[in-house]
Amino acid sequence: MGRCCCRCCCPRGLWMLSAPCCDDRRMCVCPGPRRIGIPVRSSSLPLFSDAMPAPTQLFFPLIRNCELSRIYGTACYCHHKHLCCSSSYIPQSRLRYTPHPAYATFCRPKENWWQYTQGRRYASTPQKFYLTPPQVNSILKANEYSFKVPEFDGKNVSSILGFDSNQLPANAPIEDRRSAATCLQTRGMLLGVFDGHAGCACSQAVSERLFYYIAVSLLPHETLLEIENAVESGRALLPILQWHKHPNDYFSKEASKLYFNSLRTYWQELIDLNTGESTDIDVKEALINAFKRLDNDISLEAQVGDPNSFLNYLVLRVAFSGATACVAHVDGVDLHVANTGDSRAMLGVQEEDGSWSAVTLSNDHNAQNERELERLKLEHPKSEAKSVVKQDRLLGLLMPFRAFGDVKFKWSIDLQKRVIESGPDQLNDNEYTKFIPPNYHTPPYLTAEPEVTYHRLRPQDKFLVLATDGLWETMHRQDVVRIVGEYLTGMHHQQPIAVGGYKVTLGQMHGLLTERRTKMSSVFEDQNAATHLIRHAVGNNEFGTVDHERLSKMLSLPEELARMYRDDITIIVVQFNSHVVGAYQNQE
Amino acid sequence: MADYSNKLYYQLEQETGIQTGYTRTGSIFLAQTQDRLISLKRINAGLNVIGIPSEIISPKKVAELHHLLNVHDLVGAMHVPEDAVVSSADVALALASAASQNGVQIYDRTSVLHVMVKKGQVTGVETDKGQIECQYFVNCAGQWAYELGLSNEEPVSIPLHACEHFYLLTRPLETPLQSSTPTIVDADGRIYIRNWQGGILSGGFEKNPKPIFTEGKNQLEIQNLQEDWDHFEPLLSSLLRRMPELETLEIMKLVNCPETFTPDMRCIMGESPAVQGYFVLAGMNSAGLSFGGGAGKYLAEWMVHGYPSENVWELDLKRFGALQSSRTFLRHRVMEVMPLMYDLKVPRWDFQTGRQLRTSPLYDRLDAQGARWMEKHGFERPKYFVPPDKDLLALEQSKTFYKPDWFDIVESEVKCCKEAVCVIDMSSFTKFEITSTGDQALEVLQYLFSNDLDVPVGHIVHTGMLNEGGGYENDCSIARLNKRSFFMISPTDQQVHCWAWLKKHMPKDSNLLLEDVTWKYTALNLIGPRAVDVLSELSYAPMTPDHFPSLFCKEMSVGYANGIRVMSMTHTGEPGFMLYIPIEYALHVYNEVMSVGQKYGIRNAGYYALRSLRIEKFFAFWGQDINNLTTPLECGRESRVKLEKGMDFIGRDALLQQKQNGVYKRLTMSILDDHDSDLDLWPWWGEPIYRNGQYVGKTTSSAYSYSLERHVCLGFVHNFSEDTGEEQVVTADFINRGEYEIDIAGYRFQAKAKLYPVASLFTQKRRKDDMELSDLHGK
Repeated sequence: MGRCCCRCCCPRGLWMLSAPCCDDRRMCVCPGPRRIGIPVRSSSLPLFSDAMPAPTQLFFPLIRNCELSRIYGTACYCHHKHLCCSSSYIPQSRLRYTPHPAYATFCRPKENWWQYTQGRRYASTPQKFYLTPPQVNSILKANEYSFKVPEFDGKNVSSILGFDSNQLPANAPIEDRRSAATCLQTRGMLLGVFDGHAGCACSQAVSERLFYYIAVSLLPHETLLEIENAVESGRALLPILQWHKHPNDYFSKEASKLYFNSLRTYWQELIDLNTGESTDIDVKEALINAFKRLDNDISLEAQVGDPNSFLNYLVLRVAFSGATACVAHVDGVDLHVANTGDSRAMLGVQEEDGSWSAVTLSNDHNAQNERELERLKLEHPKSEAKSVVKQDRLLGLLMPFRAFGDVKFKWSIDLQKRVIESGPDQLNDNEYTKFIPPNYHTPPYLTAEPEVTYHRLRPQDKFLVLATDGLWETMHRQDVVRIVGEYLTGMHHQQPIAVGGYKVTLGQMHGLLTERRTKMSSVFEDQNAATHLIRHAVGNNEFGTVDHERLSKMLSLPEELARMYRDDITIIVVQFNSHVVGAYQNQE
Repeated sequence: MADYSNKLYYQLEQETGIQTGYTRTGSIFLAQTQDRLISLKRINAGLNVIGIPSEIISPKKVAELHHLLNVHDLVGAMHVPEDAVVSSADVALALASAASQNGVQIYDRTSVLHVMVKKGQVTGVETDKGQIECQYFVNCAGQWAYELGLSNEEPVSIPLHACEHFYLLTRPLETPLQSSTPTIVDADGRIYIRNWQGGILSGGFEKNPKPIFTEGKNQLEIQNLQEDWDHFEPLLSSLLRRMPELETLEIMKLVNCPETFTPDMRCIMGESPAVQGYFVLAGMNSAGLSFGGGAGKYLAEWMVHGYPSENVWELDLKRFGALQSSRTFLRHRVMEVMPLMYDLKVPRWDFQTGRQLRTSPLYDRLDAQGARWMEKHGFERPKYFVPPDKDLLALEQSKTFYKPDWFDIVESEVKCCKEAVCVIDMSSFTKFEITSTGDQALEVLQYLFSNDLDVPVGHIVHTGMLNEGGGYENDCSIARLNKRSFFMISPTDQQVHCWAWLKKHMPKDSNLLLEDVTWKYTALNLIGPRAVDVLSELSYAPMTPDHFPSLFCKEMSVGYANGIRVMSMTHTGEPGFMLYIPIEYALHVYNEVMSVGQKYGIRNAGYYALRSLRIEKFFAFWGQDINNLTTPLECGRESRVKLEKGMDFIGRDALLQQKQNGVYKRLTMSILDDHDSDLDLWPWWGEPIYRNGQYVGKTTSSAYSYSLERHVCLGFVHNFSEDTGEEQVVTADFINRGEYEIDIAGYRFQAKAKLYPVASLFTQKRRKDDMELSDLHGK
């Protein structure tokens, strides 16, 4: 007991049923039923018993081809075979909560449900329930967004052609966020993906605030002064960021004043710190400072609270939930990636022979990263060496080793207790917030400090993919880069066929053409590289091609079940202008 | 046209002794769907009456005629046994040598730099090898015609655009195909297949054509472009589905040979409106070979006599203006036109591309109220208004030969026109103003128009603009604004043609001012018995027939706006008014009319309602029913011709003669009797008319009359001699004494023929117990 709450609660049975298993007998755990443990007790049970009839219906097509013995055999569902079986990476809930032994009764309903399903299985004939291709498309395209950068914006030639972004929810509501903006007072563009856990409050806050912190960190002293003076005298402010948002990407109106004040305090401090000597601003340093400062502000706001009860609850939710961030800053040929957590930035490089290779521009901060393990062990006393990372999780709970928010892993026990007690009732009722991580001796265990990677763009660097772990746990980076690369170059990549003197029959030609077309058809469906990638991530079969049936099944999962088969996926694909990059290179 | 070509090519070999590869193979047009079969049946009915043998055959018969065909998915086919195939290069050679024998000089490898023009008349051609003097120049440069037209100092706009066209050549079959193997057209599969040296030649018109040379940098040599197998894949699939045994056949080559297309799928011929002696024949929509011979004949007649022997308005260059010459427009339009070659052609089809070019200032207002639009000469016109609670079928599903989905909508609009008042935006009509300092305007117009225009100021005259043969070049209404100024309203597509005609016939050195004011006015048509009430309330002026008789024009105020030209006519025969509104007042007047009209039950209506009203009242329309080969006497418009108005006018002699001799055809209105509008195929146009079982003509237009609750078809009735087939005089007696039938796709419906509209039927009263509360609602 206690390995994983999802192991014993009923939903697991469900995916066992549907498992077209891999031979690997090692526990290959599904993404947990919910990201956060506590709701299991309060909501999961009734939720599943209520929801059961519908899901079972839905799932028969999935299990149709599954041998019965397999169902009872290894419990391993793997919709991303190559990754799941070949690597030790275990996709699962980012944050795990081990319930008190008293909750062990959870397991019980499993048996009941099990029989129930079996009964259903024989009673009802399998029904086909497929989404039509247009339905699939409307789901996939609901959140897609594209932005084309004007080639010459009046100031600079941009090295970015534009970007495509999209996200596919698995949680309801989705916990991932994305942001993109152009810096107006300095050069360059900011793009980022944010993966929230324990709710979306933190990722939402980070997605709307972080870029301001970065932009402010990058501003020269004079500009900061000008802005501060404008605020002081009530004049119109200089715009700092030009956002490029999908209509679904919202900003919190209520907190905007609070956020502004925190930001203003930050630039006031920056002004004070700078004693006149105008030094070149280091982007790397600016990024690190911005990350740390924002996390600090989130923490402070929660400690101080707010007289407005709505805001007070909001800042607490932000602080008690968490988010990882992967942000790229592109200015000419200078590309900085600041990463906190396990989202990833991947550069798509086209080799001279036209093939694609992937260059990773960030390191995952999780148990698979030796250096992170090392860091954690060094930061805490030797006595904790065994407990600080357990079962590949921080304190046996949290998957990413760096994150925004998550004050449970940052504050002292005293502080946590004090804030919760003085906080609103909702907070007090929440099992998760009250729960103190085990072996919690020397906080903080968690930091938001990013690791910054610098890369100087070359003409062969065609695009950058920023994506949350929802993508990377289903697809290998090499496949990601290849699929995007082939999508972006489109048909040009396929050599035209010429008969040129060979003996070819109509039938042979027809076969050849049909094959080429099926390859292309999925490309043609999408106008957005990120959508195309999601289509592959969710719908790829063992041959690496999109299988509509599979796609349809994955997308028609009811809200409550989707999270067990996949994680939220958020992708930004930034396309570079090779000509501009090349020109930069030649200048120097 | 194709028929003449066929005969020409047949004779050519005998005349010149040059092999043209002419083989009478026959052709089979396949139908995979019932709708396609209906379309073929309609064509079949049309072919039979002009003496081209053809028949509708069963799939089984198809298999007998062509053993390679897979016929499992067919519902029928049309067989045209006399169709032939020729080799285009050989035909061209034969024609050239025949021409040379008759003294024509042909210059090879010579490129035209531009055409020399003096005073609007062609004087010669400047080529890279020197000048050639000439009186006539024919631009038949195919895909280069557009550029050549533009190379002129005064550009001649020839709207066409090239698309890549692919066809496949294979090596011979194991047992080579017989040379007499019929040509197959599988329009539903978008392909054609014919024998080619024992193998096959197959191409098609794909759904996603590739337009080419949009930038105008045309290829200089006729050379074939790159093959694109991926693009050809759907057509190849379709071919293999039709002839599965070809799987093992070896490919020889995929030919990519650009074809030119026009904005309306019909070729372009005739004289340029700007330059005299500059003729055009181009844009054959890849039917160059089959229509070439016939088109050449018409063009030759045109150059020699001034007009061809058939009505070719639909092909006339002047149906287009400079407005169709945008490359972007052409590029987008040909992408729609090319697939349309093999698409099912259903009634009331509107082009989807190149739209919203010319619009009325009320466009957005009307669109927001549910207007559905059609386009004429680039101008958007409302068809009907979809009520908010009603959904119509999607575009593709709405294609039908039967009762259309908008039937009820138009019915309620028509009803409102008859009982209350409707407003139709008719801004698209061509509007000219002719003014002079002296009396020249009147003199010129009297000479150009058949009716007497010397009427008191404020009167409107319906009149024809006739040619020497008495045929209608234009049918218009002219209002005398003052002694020296006239306002002329013509059909929308007359903008270029009428302008050219007037310019051509106006004295060169007069102080006559001709102005195109189409864009200056928005036209609203208030139709219905309550139009009087709406207008008098808005103008505080009595509008009753006593004060404002029919066919009267007055400038007055409507709402706050002054200077609105109000005319008591509606183009439908219903009571009402046309308002010609300077465009800046358009929105104001429309708003006022709508708000005041509310209590009279006003609503928007569209052209479909107008059309139904017009046709049931026997109002023929220029371009559809009447053209330059029909005279006023032939369509019962003697009253609009004043032969004795005291001066000569163009066409008078011809009319005098016709009056004496009688007419050889007569526009007739046929009311279908045993036609069930719910279940039977609807008439469209081009349906053969039979009198006592004998073919006498074809319909030119048709509409459902909601008051007669019958279909009404207009069409010309001839009197062909039973023995010789010669045309004889048609008398009213001849029309009235006969049993009529209309052939719709092979099925004949009984019809009553009328020479004058049915008068009594239009004053039906609604029964009291039919009234409902909803009749009290505003619409």
